Amino acid sequence: MLKIENLVTEYGAVKALDGVSFTAVQGKITTVIGANGAGKSTLLRTISGLERAKSGTISWADNSLIGKAPESIVRTGIAHVPEGHAVISQLTVAENIEMGALFRRRKHRTDVKQAIEEVYELFPRLAERNKQLAGSLSGGERQMLAISRALVSRPQLLLLDEPSLGLAPLVVEQIIQTVNDLCRKSGLTVLLVEQNANTALAVADYGVLLSLGKVVANLPAAELKADASLRAAYLGY
Amino acid sequence: MDQLLSAIFAGTSRGAIYALVALGIVLVWRGAGVINFAQMGQAMFSTYVASNLIMHGTSYWVAFVVALIVGTVLGAAVDLLVMRPLSGKRSSAMMASPAMRGTIPVIASLGILGLLQSAAGMIWAAEERGFPTPVNSLGLSINGNVMPFTAFDIFVIGVVLFTLFVTTIFFQKTGMGLAMRASALNPEVARLSGIRTSSVRTLSWAISGAASSLAGLLVTPSANLSPNTLDLVLIIGFTATVIGGLDSLPGGVIGGFILGLVISFINVYDSPSDVFLAILAFLLLVLLVRPQGLLGSKEVRRV
Repeated sequence: MLKIENLVTEYGAVKALDGVSFTAVQGKITTVIGANGAGKSTLLRTISGLERAKSGTISWADNSLIGKAPESIVRTGIAHVPEGHAVISQLTVAENIEMGALFRRRKHRTDVKQAIEEVYELFPRLAERNKQLAGSLSGGERQMLAISRALVSRPQLLLLDEPSLGLAPLVVEQIIQTVNDLCRKSGLTVLLVEQNANTALAVADYGVLLSLGKVVANLPAAELKADASLRAAYLGY
Repeated sequence: MDQLLSAIFAGTSRGAIYALVALGIVLVWRGAGVINFAQMGQAMFSTYVASNLIMHGTSYWVAFVVALIVGTVLGAAVDLLVMRPLSGKRSSAMMASPAMRGTIPVIASLGILGLLQSAAGMIWAAEERGFPTPVNSLGLSINGNVMPFTAFDIFVIGVVLFTLFVTTIFFQKTGMGLAMRASALNPEVARLSGIRTSSVRTLSWAISGAASSLAGLLVTPSANLSPNTLDLVLIIGFTATVIGGLDSLPGGVIGGFILGLVISFINVYDSPSDVFLAILAFLLLVLLVRPQGLLGSKEVRRV
């Protein structure tokens, strides 16, 4: 379980996160929704150690993550797929995937091999293109690659930042369904940040609504989806 | 015909050395975003260590290996003792602007160069001394015919090609090589993948130090050894890197070989006094046609 309490992250004088508290339940999908600039990405970046928290606590499986570097946090079983299909375009597809498992290649050689085979089964298109440079892939394939890179680290918690960004609806559907299956089958905990609230709430168990760095609603996804007044006030539709 | 061959051989062997220098420059530039002006100062220092060992009766090969180790350690030390503490001071007022963050490490490297040169002057006196070669550096003769190249030329070219081969295998085929490429290309994604980018950066400095000290050992026999001898090598090596593309390892290496040949042809067919003019004209030409260098990527560095 990921437990966040009173988390504050600042960019200079701007409070991007202003006392955020919520928990992400084991084996469930929690989605964080909100308008542009609500602090969604900052939240994920603070959890994975890319940004430093000003105050507050983040505890994961009863260990504090505050002050830890990203390369240490990924070793505790948290994988972050940042915004914008973050792959390294100048490396091949196979290298991008291998990169995600480099840190455990010595101790878990056979498991790493198996994890890589699994992501190729999950996304056969990546297997077909594994010698190509990541830069030559389509947007959807790049997102699949970014997720694969995260999965080969065998995370228990997956932080997904706007996987739908710039993708065709059909591709978004496929990617969200894959994440949903992973969560239901293998007990992966997912924290899904989305601007596309409908897509996210359709698969999520819980929804956290952020506005200007504060949590304004924390409800089961179905309830959040049904609440027309919240949607109108914070999501604008 | 002999003149042409000897220009090609001399140029290739000299170019091989510039290729090594370029390799060192590109490694640190890509790995740490710093142009390291102390690079050939470090090489000068490790070459002095070798020279002293040889003067005290140690064999060339032992001294050769010791110098490479000293060069590697010096490279790592520059990062651990100077560059890493500097980048840790990000929050201080002086390092607040990105321009200063880019400039200060370069100024620091100039400081290290000065420090190494004065230290070498104090320890080993500033007068020039010769440096031996492991094989004959006079014209090689086979069946009584004097060849247009020397055994040392062949040695230099062989050692450098071997080094480039090993480096390529390391970068393309090993996990650590992949970690280094990933860290240089996108530190954020690399860190999220669990790569310890600060250790990787130190490794870039260390390998760069090793390549530079090798260049020092190979170039000194033809230049004599003094605290300042390798300054010129750095300048030419840096020019080669810019010609080839500052962010491309193969580019830097190719730039080194091309520049070596250009210099050699000017030496043989024109006059040594025109060498610098030719280098600058060539640099200008390349920059006009391809500002990013022959193999450099087009992406402008974001400030």
